[in-house]
Amino acid sequence: MAIDMQPESDRQPGREPGGREPDAPPPPARPWWRRPAVHTALAGAVIGYLLGHLLGNVIAGQYSQVVNSGQNDYAIVLGYVLGTLGWLAGLGVFSDLLRQMTGRPVHATEEARDASAGLARYFRYSLDHKVVGLQYLVGMIGFFLTGGLLAMAIRTELLSPSYHVFSSATYTAIVGEHGTMMMMMMSSLILGPLGNYLLPLMIGSKRMAFPRIEALSFWLTPAAYIVLLSGLMFGGFPFGWTGYAPLSVQATQGADAYAVAFGIMGISLILLGFNIIVTVICYRAPGMHWGRLPIFVWAMLTTSFLMVLAAPVLVGAMYMLITDRTVQTAFFTDDLGGSSYLWENLFWFFGHPEVYILALPGFGVVSEILPVFCRKPLFGYKVAAAGMVGVTLLSFFVWQHHLFDSGINPDMRPVFMLTTELISIPTGFIFLVAMGTFWKAKIRFTVPMLFALGFYFNFLIGGISGVYLSDVPADTTEHGTFFVMAHFHYTIMGGLIFAFMAGLYYWLPKMMGIRLNQTLGKIHFWTMFVFFNATFLPLFAVGMAGQPRRVYTYARSLETLNDWVSISSFLLGVSILIFVFNFVYSTVIARVHEEGNPWNSRGLEWQVSSPPPPGNFARVPVVLSGPYEYGVKDAPPVADLDPPLGVISNAYAAAAAEGAEV
Amino acid sequence: MPAADGTVADGAGRPEPNHGLRIFLLWLPVALVADLLIWFVWGPHLPPGAMSTSAATQQSAIKIMSVMAAPVMALVLVYGAYALVVWRHREGDDEDGPPIHGNTRVSVTWIGVTSVIVLSLAVFGTVELAGPAGAGAGEGNTPIWRPSGGTPLQVQVIGQQWRWTYRYPQFGGFETTSLMLPVGENVQFNITSLDVIHSFWAYQLGVKADANPDINNVAYTKPEHTGQVQVRCAELCGLWHADMTTVGQVVSLSAFNAWTATARTQLAALTKELPPYTLTYDPNAVAQLGKVFQKAGLSGAGGGFYGSQYPVQP
Amino acid sequence: MSETATPPPGTPDLPALTRESEEANFFHEAALNATWTGVRLAVGALSFAFGCFVFAYFYLRSLNSHGMWHPAGVKGPQPWAGAVIMALVVVSALVQYVGLTRIKASKKGAWQASAVLALVLGLAAIGLQVWELLNLHFFPGSSGFSSVFVGATPVFVIVVLAAMIWLETLIMRVRVIPAISFVEQPPTYAEAFAVQRFQASLSAFTVLWNYLAVVAIVFWVLFYLTA
Repeated sequence: MAIDMQPESDRQPGREPGGREPDAPPPPARPWWRRPAVHTALAGAVIGYLLGHLLGNVIAGQYSQVVNSGQNDYAIVLGYVLGTLGWLAGLGVFSDLLRQMTGRPVHATEEARDASAGLARYFRYSLDHKVVGLQYLVGMIGFFLTGGLLAMAIRTELLSPSYHVFSSATYTAIVGEHGTMMMMMMSSLILGPLGNYLLPLMIGSKRMAFPRIEALSFWLTPAAYIVLLSGLMFGGFPFGWTGYAPLSVQATQGADAYAVAFGIMGISLILLGFNIIVTVICYRAPGMHWGRLPIFVWAMLTTSFLMVLAAPVLVGAMYMLITDRTVQTAFFTDDLGGSSYLWENLFWFFGHPEVYILALPGFGVVSEILPVFCRKPLFGYKVAAAGMVGVTLLSFFVWQHHLFDSGINPDMRPVFMLTTELISIPTGFIFLVAMGTFWKAKIRFTVPMLFALGFYFNFLIGGISGVYLSDVPADTTEHGTFFVMAHFHYTIMGGLIFAFMAGLYYWLPKMMGIRLNQTLGKIHFWTMFVFFNATFLPLFAVGMAGQPRRVYTYARSLETLNDWVSISSFLLGVSILIFVFNFVYSTVIARVHEEGNPWNSRGLEWQVSSPPPPGNFARVPVVLSGPYEYGVKDAPPVADLDPPLGVISNAYAAAAAEGAEV
Repeated sequence: MPAADGTVADGAGRPEPNHGLRIFLLWLPVALVADLLIWFVWGPHLPPGAMSTSAATQQSAIKIMSVMAAPVMALVLVYGAYALVVWRHREGDDEDGPPIHGNTRVSVTWIGVTSVIVLSLAVFGTVELAGPAGAGAGEGNTPIWRPSGGTPLQVQVIGQQWRWTYRYPQFGGFETTSLMLPVGENVQFNITSLDVIHSFWAYQLGVKADANPDINNVAYTKPEHTGQVQVRCAELCGLWHADMTTVGQVVSLSAFNAWTATARTQLAALTKELPPYTLTYDPNAVAQLGKVFQKAGLSGAGGGFYGSQYPVQP
Repeated sequence: MSETATPPPGTPDLPALTRESEEANFFHEAALNATWTGVRLAVGALSFAFGCFVFAYFYLRSLNSHGMWHPAGVKGPQPWAGAVIMALVVVSALVQYVGLTRIKASKKGAWQASAVLALVLGLAAIGLQVWELLNLHFFPGSSGFSSVFVGATPVFVIVVLAAMIWLETLIMRVRVIPAISFVEQPPTYAEAFAVQRFQASLSAFTVLWNYLAVVAIVFWVLFYLTA
């Protein structure tokens, strides 16, 4: 459903759906194994998959295409779809909907009433945005490590052009899994954990707008992850993350896993973005007007618009691929009236905004962190916000720069060259803002700040190399080579991942009340920064020297460079292991508590204790000034956390009156 | 860059230095040296070389963009390094920085300068694209930028999993596995595919164009030096994508004429078996082509691997 | 909290304001806005999803590769079925919309009747569309047009089904709300909130359902009228 349905009939003031009823007696607790959680979800998924598989065999078992090819895509796709629905049903996603459809009152969930939920709630369909944020955090780190392991496998194979660790089939499958895993899962890397957890805290709300949609958007991600990896059981898919037809239409069942997983993740992205947009628009505390919105929230808002508008096209394209592979439509088959160009257009119409879905949250995180450790206001707040909005708008008009050599609309190339060059203007604002904020600052080299600085260095290289790719003549040499690969790893790994690390070191004290070990953090930063650059900088040269992407063998003359890159990438992997060790060590073993405001930040989220109490704020705060007023003489406090009676009602009455006039 | 907002004395009584000037003086030599190195030392060796008109265009595009990018990059890096050294937090200083919220003049200058750079690059790119007949990039089946002069030499490039073959329609339409081109002549590549999307990439010629099934994609170039050409596939096309490489030759016109004459007679028997030359081929004929290859003692890799290409009609 | 104050102008005439009720009001107001905003955003996202198929339609039509967009010999879907499906959705939306104007005048029964009728019509449209897809007399891949038709209509069916589930929950919810509440302020916050949330949900549903009626007309024009 597009709109979350609020439970109505038992509403009372002061209680939100999923919130705890203060004076209600707790319902009789069922034993844990009878309450919906991960184990029931797994059972549901298995039952759903088997049902779907059976159904597919019954429906399509006799179709000539199935009999001739010996592969039944109907069974696989139906298995995946029903398995995912079973997974969700096992979690209890549909319980409230069914209650509403049968006219029964919707109760607050059991576990929300259960004060001693403890760790168990992280394995349930929890409607608490702080729980969902941490679920996302652990999930995303897991997905990232999986993708990273696959990258290590790729670099192992590329150690030698002639000695092969994997067969070319295995290698191609690994390349496809790595690319798809990273591109689809990492889209939620910042908005999932940091967004869901921090957004209500940053805008002074106690909740997200649609908690059920929020929880659903998370619980779809493990489903997409498992479906994608299950493709390996069919031998993977041989077409990378771009899935160009007709190769993807002809490939074996691994392609079904690709299409279904990407489609599920597309839906998750739509839901995630949808919830964030509505929350930002409707749930800001009084006084949190647009000019005071933290810049990270602007980044989340613009990213979410990209997700909500671009991801439906992805879902549509994946759906068309599935129908081409199952019911034998001919969307992408040229001599039956379809076109392989249709896939390229639809895919990149999503694919380019996707790139900014990955980049914009990073801009937001580093711009948010910079003022805190420069002890200065953010330079050009409006410029930063305008830059993000500009990137969002323009990113819908650049997709054909991925198709300069494809023969699609060659006469339109100057236009797409122009729009692509233009998008570097708002992107450049990020650097203007950073450099302005550095001016006469008092820069503190904390771990989050180091990662933010690393972001700017990497993104500078990533951004400038992107300008080369926008130019058709230069792109003709660089397209489809390791140059492109190095470019987008600089923007995504060097941008997004560094920003994520910055955000994690900065906000983990807020989210868990625990500080990550700073010494290990510094070791992590320096190893990651050095080995990241050692890995990807030479790849520009490798690409320029003529090594195409996704090859499992290459020119003998490039072996030295490739070996250097592979060894650096293993050391980069070691650096990530240091992070994993630090994360586990700090949160499980050492547990150094950090309850106050360790960075002395003016962010609204830092004005409450860490981790925040249930409901985030004791009262709806009234925001009095912007979040970056460092060094401003007699700046008012960020917010009045205990406003007198009447202030809030006046605020929303005024807003309502204003809305009525509009 | 951010103008120095006056020379205000700091806490210790020392006059505040003119940071803007200092950064400018640091930046200027770095940018100058970088640009000179790029233009004179690195530039002539930049890929993809200058073996053909299109390659030379791409080389000059990369060179000019590097010359424009280097000062920008140097500015950000010099500014950043300066800031990290000069404006780092000193022990015992617990004051916040100056409350500068923005500076309209700086922002407008920045936006103006980046816009000028970016727009001039777009204009430059368009000129470079139109000038040498599409700069070697695939132009679809109705190219709008063509070389002047008479009909160029027609070379059809056929991609299939996982090999390249070439047909020369002006010489009886024979098909070979080796690319041979004359120096100093305009060449028109007609690129198509028999199965999935490939991308024909003749590295030294600076030609890259996708080979789409059922579609003719045209790219032009004009070789200006003789030598070897590495041909690769630049679009993931399945298992043996990496092995879709061949070596082409650019030879003198007389050598080329001699080669076509020989090839034409040697391959005459095979040419008769081939489907007549067209700009695209019906992929249903792939199986038929396989037979042709077998007859000629070649091992065609095309088709067959993925099973049925087409939806089976019930 | 014993502290109270007079409610500001614009708030309903309800028991005196306390801190709890003030916050409840704040979040209640936000939830109403969220429903309003959410449905419009959903319409935007759905437009991109349907737009994906509309793009495929016009793109493949303009390419007409191998003359196989919609060759003369290949049959299309049955015109009568398309017209009836479109009419069912449009009439359902109209009926529901008329019912909405009645409920605002406290005629709860009239809306209930119209909503049930709208639900039946919508389900009939779904049923007919599914029947048509199960009884195609052409192969899905026989032309570009047939591909887009076979691909796009199930998506529309799924979205319509979701809208119908929403309508069904609204029909269930309205049962416990007294008709008088739609014209007069109920005496307690709980009841006032319940009514206002129902109204917000209902008007959001109306936006979605009217939008889907427009989509039905567009699809009918594309697949039956101008094919």
